[in-house]
Amino acid sequence: MKKIITLICIAYLAIGCSDLEENPVGLLAPESFFQTTDDLQAAVNGSFAYMASEKYWGRKLSLALLLRGDMADIGDQTTSAYRIDVNNFTMNDDNAMVTNFWPQSYAIIGAANQAIDGAELLSGDQDKINAVAAQAYFARAFAYYNLVRLFGEIPYIDFAVSDISTVESISKSSVDAVYAGIVADLEFAKKWLPDTQPTRSLPSKATAAAYLASVYLTLGEHAKSYTEAKYVITNKGKFNVGLDPDYQNLFNADKVGSSNEPLFTIDFIGQSRDGDLGQDYLASVTGIRGNITFSYGEGWSVAVPSLKVYNDWDGRDYRKAVSLDTVATFKNVGLQPYTVFKNYNGRAVNRPHIAKYYRMIGIAGNNGRESSSNYITMRYAEVLLTAAEALNETTPGSSEAAGYVNEVRTRARLGGGTPSAYPANLASGLNQADLRKAILEERRIELAFEFGRWFDIKRLGIGNEAFGPNGFEPQPNFTASRDYLFPLPADELARNTNLQPNNPGY
Amino acid sequence: MPNKMKSNRAYLLLFLLLIGTFGYAQERSISGKVVSGDDSLGLPGVNISIKGTSNGGSTDMDGNYTVNVKNKNAVLVFSYLGFVTKEVTVGTSNTINVTLQTDADELETVVVVGYGTVKKSDITGSVSSVKSDDLNAFPVLNAEQALQGRAAGVMVQSNNGGEPGAPIKVRVRGGTSINASSDALIVVDGFVGASMPAPEDIASMEILKDASSTAIYGSRAANGVILVTTKKGKTGKSTVELNTSYSSQTVNNTLDMLNADQFAAYRNSFAPGYVQGTANTDWQDEIYRNGGISNTQLSFSGGSDNIKYYVSGNFFDQKGVIINSDLNRFTILSNIDANISDKVSVGLSVAGGSFNKNGILTQTQSGGTGTADVVSSTYRFAPDLGIYNPDGSFVVNSIGDDIDNPYATATQNINETKTNNYRANFFFNWEIISGLDFKTAFGYSADNRQTGKFKPTTLIAGAGVGGEATILDVKSTSIITENYLTYKKDELWKGNLTAMAGYSYQKNTRNEVFAGARGFVTNSVSYRNLGGGSVYLQPQSSLEETELVSVFGRLNYTISDKYLFTFTGRYDGSSNFSKNHKYAFFPSGAFGWNMSKEDFLADSETISNWKWRVSYGATGNPSIPPYGTLARFSEIYSVIGDNITNAVAVTQLANDNLKWETSYQFNLGLDLGFFNNRLSATMDYYNIDTKDLLFQRPLPEYIGLANPFQMQNIGELQNRGFEFSVNGRIFANDNFSWSSSLNYSTNKTKILALPNNEDILIASAPGHFLQSESQILRVGESVGSFYGYIYEGVIQDGQTAPTGGETLPGGQLLADINGRDADGNLTGEPDGKLNSDDKTIIGDPTPDFILGFNNDFKFKNFDANLFFQASVGNDILNYSLLEMGSGDANTTTDMLNYWTPTNTNTDIPAPAIRAKLITSRYVYDGSYLRMKNISIGYSLPKEILDKTFIENIRVYVSGQNLITWTKYPGADPEANYRNDNNERSNTNLGLDYGSYPNVKTFTMGVNFKF
Repeated sequence: MKKIITLICIAYLAIGCSDLEENPVGLLAPESFFQTTDDLQAAVNGSFAYMASEKYWGRKLSLALLLRGDMADIGDQTTSAYRIDVNNFTMNDDNAMVTNFWPQSYAIIGAANQAIDGAELLSGDQDKINAVAAQAYFARAFAYYNLVRLFGEIPYIDFAVSDISTVESISKSSVDAVYAGIVADLEFAKKWLPDTQPTRSLPSKATAAAYLASVYLTLGEHAKSYTEAKYVITNKGKFNVGLDPDYQNLFNADKVGSSNEPLFTIDFIGQSRDGDLGQDYLASVTGIRGNITFSYGEGWSVAVPSLKVYNDWDGRDYRKAVSLDTVATFKNVGLQPYTVFKNYNGRAVNRPHIAKYYRMIGIAGNNGRESSSNYITMRYAEVLLTAAEALNETTPGSSEAAGYVNEVRTRARLGGGTPSAYPANLASGLNQADLRKAILEERRIELAFEFGRWFDIKRLGIGNEAFGPNGFEPQPNFTASRDYLFPLPADELARNTNLQPNNPGY
Repeated sequence: MPNKMKSNRAYLLLFLLLIGTFGYAQERSISGKVVSGDDSLGLPGVNISIKGTSNGGSTDMDGNYTVNVKNKNAVLVFSYLGFVTKEVTVGTSNTINVTLQTDADELETVVVVGYGTVKKSDITGSVSSVKSDDLNAFPVLNAEQALQGRAAGVMVQSNNGGEPGAPIKVRVRGGTSINASSDALIVVDGFVGASMPAPEDIASMEILKDASSTAIYGSRAANGVILVTTKKGKTGKSTVELNTSYSSQTVNNTLDMLNADQFAAYRNSFAPGYVQGTANTDWQDEIYRNGGISNTQLSFSGGSDNIKYYVSGNFFDQKGVIINSDLNRFTILSNIDANISDKVSVGLSVAGGSFNKNGILTQTQSGGTGTADVVSSTYRFAPDLGIYNPDGSFVVNSIGDDIDNPYATATQNINETKTNNYRANFFFNWEIISGLDFKTAFGYSADNRQTGKFKPTTLIAGAGVGGEATILDVKSTSIITENYLTYKKDELWKGNLTAMAGYSYQKNTRNEVFAGARGFVTNSVSYRNLGGGSVYLQPQSSLEETELVSVFGRLNYTISDKYLFTFTGRYDGSSNFSKNHKYAFFPSGAFGWNMSKEDFLADSETISNWKWRVSYGATGNPSIPPYGTLARFSEIYSVIGDNITNAVAVTQLANDNLKWETSYQFNLGLDLGFFNNRLSATMDYYNIDTKDLLFQRPLPEYIGLANPFQMQNIGELQNRGFEFSVNGRIFANDNFSWSSSLNYSTNKTKILALPNNEDILIASAPGHFLQSESQILRVGESVGSFYGYIYEGVIQDGQTAPTGGETLPGGQLLADINGRDADGNLTGEPDGKLNSDDKTIIGDPTPDFILGFNNDFKFKNFDANLFFQASVGNDILNYSLLEMGSGDANTTTDMLNYWTPTNTNTDIPAPAIRAKLITSRYVYDGSYLRMKNISIGYSLPKEILDKTFIENIRVYVSGQNLITWTKYPGADPEANYRNDNNERSNTNLGLDYGSYPNVKTFTMGVNFKF
């Protein structure tokens, strides 16, 4: 008997004693993570990974930017109310697009902050470390640049948060302070990033300079903007950037990866993702309802240009053909023009649809989600047009400025192998106002549907024209005193009341 | 051999008695058999006394007895524990056969509580017992399902209608949490968290409800505890039981959908130019079939004084009422108990089971392109289309999103779950000195589950990707040891004491592996050759380990059976808990007063039991995930330069102060018995305040986490309710008996506090509805309130409607109830505009009360059961009807009464393609009363069986869910949608979309006993 008891005691003491400490296997602890620059690169990649999310460039932010501008309107009127509200300037402070891309923007920033702080923990060749850390500086600037343009004053954090109480009650930073941070980050990036990277989804020196040019243009600091743009143009050989001979290649998932025009891309690979990461829906929301042309099936006709966008666009422009789809294939009836789309699908819309993200997207899932697209956020053509615009402001009617526009037009005339006479070069000797108008129009056409139009409208304060009765997309609700800024999410203001008040009118 | 000896002793007794008769010539011998009213089997050891004398005897192993009496006026008293004592006047006959009925209130029976047993009359807490008969009234896969309607305060619902193997949701006194699990703790023969045995192998289930009874399980007890006791062998002759039944199942209800012609006309009324297809398909007909269950159990049991055994095997095979859905289950259980000496006993319980489920897609998360489920697509799919195209491929819907037809979805998808589980449980009991017992138990259990899925290229979801196959492998193990001392001392000071104290340790591990691939050359390999794919999905693997160490104790002290005191406590330490709060203490105390034992009631003829119970205590909910409080870097999916690349990000901040949820429960109970407990009633009022809710608190999003939430202890929830149950033996004599029981319970859940006390909006509608909110959590309201627009009917000619909504005659009129001032602040006044400010609470899914009503009848060899179950006052938000009302779907014939300029007196708007807004139009009263079971059985007369080796044969037929009384227009009021994680199973109440239909069942079966 005693033997049995002794045995039991030994047995249960052996397995029954624990200090209750958790020692997870297969999980990473932040304290001990940063050892090499490869670890640092992995942390930087985290920041880029968060850009390639459905909540950011995969749909929520990109679609909001598209709809907010005057080049894309709501197609299917039964789509989510929060999309219609962004488009129609009827949004409230609980808009579900904002409540998705707001936190995601800060996730990008948070990951960048982790990498930047992590770089401090590394020892070794500081130049090498800086070159990797500089990518994180760029990522942080990229996210803040989008945020400050959308919201104005925002919370600005440039360190990794490990204790919530340190930031729980911070106030918003002024727009100037945020821009100062963005510029400082981009300067650091420009200093330490390499001239070229193995892929355009990592930023190079040229990327940082191009974004500096864009930031300065937004700030109205034209001389600095021109300097930065010019820096890219002058060194385009060293940076291996230039205009792609075929405009279509930029929107062809199989070709964009080898094009030297993009300065920064957000990459997706077909049919591969993990939750929201790697998940894009731009094909779905811009594609045509009921269209069976592509193996990946129909789109949802959510963001569809107004007819005026199509009608105003010269039919000889190769870029129009690349940018818009005017026909679709429907079940049983085959190819049909846009004028009768609705006859074959209840939720279709009788307007040409955006083709840039639906036509050549490589391997993709249903509705073109999880496409193979690499979305370009900055490309050489924009650098040229930025240089032109900035220069025209400091040197009115500059022929150098007109020359940059003509470079862009020359490429358009190549027509993807079928040369055309349209668009002709600018008439020489335009005055400042005419040249300004021409440059802006060129931006609208060249960069059509590339998510920058809303920022141009805001930057130039032309909302009343763009959304007026003669604009491309008349929106009677547009109110200049309110609508140049999005509302910060109401729940964020409730969590930290020091962020109040919201932007005017919300 | 022992049996033989016992009967020899009986013969000896008989012999001695016979000798006695020589001395007293007027005495005569009376003999007969005592049988149980339950199963007509002989009762061994029944005490027989002759009233007014000290003479008597007892029955033998088969229930036979012989006693000597002096005259015909003698009265024989038959008494047996757990049965109603019966008196019979001898009269002239020498043979007296007696049937004893089980004691209705079973006050003397022993009830299993945590780490011990208590006489029912000594219980101070709130405990409901459900016996084997009720659990096996009709065939069910999962014993929890059989609890529905059986116990007050226990709400049971299938999460997926009549699906073979549907998960069952059990709520004891409501959901006590919002983010954490509200599932009751299951304890099988002392093994915490073991898998549920087959219903046939369960002797009883005790549901511990108040803190006095649950606190002994400490940090895991806040949602109530279900103690499952499996059948054990009994001393006596060996018995073999064979129970087999076959059930035929059909869909309980279908919706009356438009046929092809009606549909084309309807469609053309708002989408002119619709060309009618050539077919006319009733999609519900295409996927529903007659299903069935075949259920067989074979058990052997018996025992001697020293060894008892119970060995059982079950086979359950169900063919679902939807094509391609089925399940089979095989389980074995062996319980062996042995007395090694007078003081030492040991036992071993071994159980194993295998489950194979072949599932179909139901309750889709989002029914967009290629992802609609089988059931909802029967409503969405155009009825003028057929199953196949001329080329043999499957027809895709002609309206709305591209979805596969229901037949294709049901037959082409492969979704198989194969589970094996094992459990071994050993105990050792040693009576150290008289009154002091030491018990130790070890257990090990393992659960291995593989889920394999394949989407072939014949379906939209598979076509685009060349087929997709995935395998998820989950291996869980649990080791437990429990050790405790029990000390009983009668007449200590003024009463009797029972004290128990123990130590326990449990370790759980969970091992997960996931792999998947796309791009297969053929559909024929299913998920059995992932290497054959051309694109590989991200593989995943993980290991989680959790440990729990506890000390616990209980003190029972009763003074003259009148005043009952119980104190329990448990001190739990868990590895899941945060650094600063590794240990938690959960105490409870209770007092009972057996008022009927007081002098002023002791002699009452009417009142046989009157007991007050009051208890208060704290219990916990530990649903903190393993490693949930550690700071964490995670690998995340990243594409750089078109290649998947290593990337990490901080996904969780350290959380050193996180604690468990604590429920503080007050219970006031009253037990009443009348007429010698022929009629008994139990009432309980309770109030549970759950504090420190484990809440995913939204953090300021600018802190920079992709998922900016942290589990924190904020928020408070209240469950308050009243339970009433009454049992009565309404009529009983030797030929006929009728007993009846009714239970009634109410539970109101109220949110007392939330993070910042701000509303939390929940999006529960299927993703393709594109609605960002449909339910709300708001302080003062119940959990899961529906949130949307108030539907005010159809806009009539000349009526104005708020802008932003529909404004034309025939459109849906939604109420404008709120607006904003110039500063953007809500005014609470209509502003002529319809937008999200006008949403409000439009329904409450919590029932006012639920009830169960059971009736058992016996007439000679016949027995019958009639069982009703009801839920009253709960709202249901029907997403299926909402979808049918929004244009791009087929619809019900009811919907044909829509508004037209000539048919204006209707509340159905003119058809149109509409955004799928959540409106009160689709909120319905979900009250129902259901005849859950009706059965009639016949046991073959003893006279026939006596000549055979068979002891008993009973044949029966029964029907389940045959009649339902409800006004609910959906398919079934026991509706559910997506209860697939802890949070959703708390908040997704009363939603109806794509659920596997409930079933009507006809069962016939036969029970043999040898």
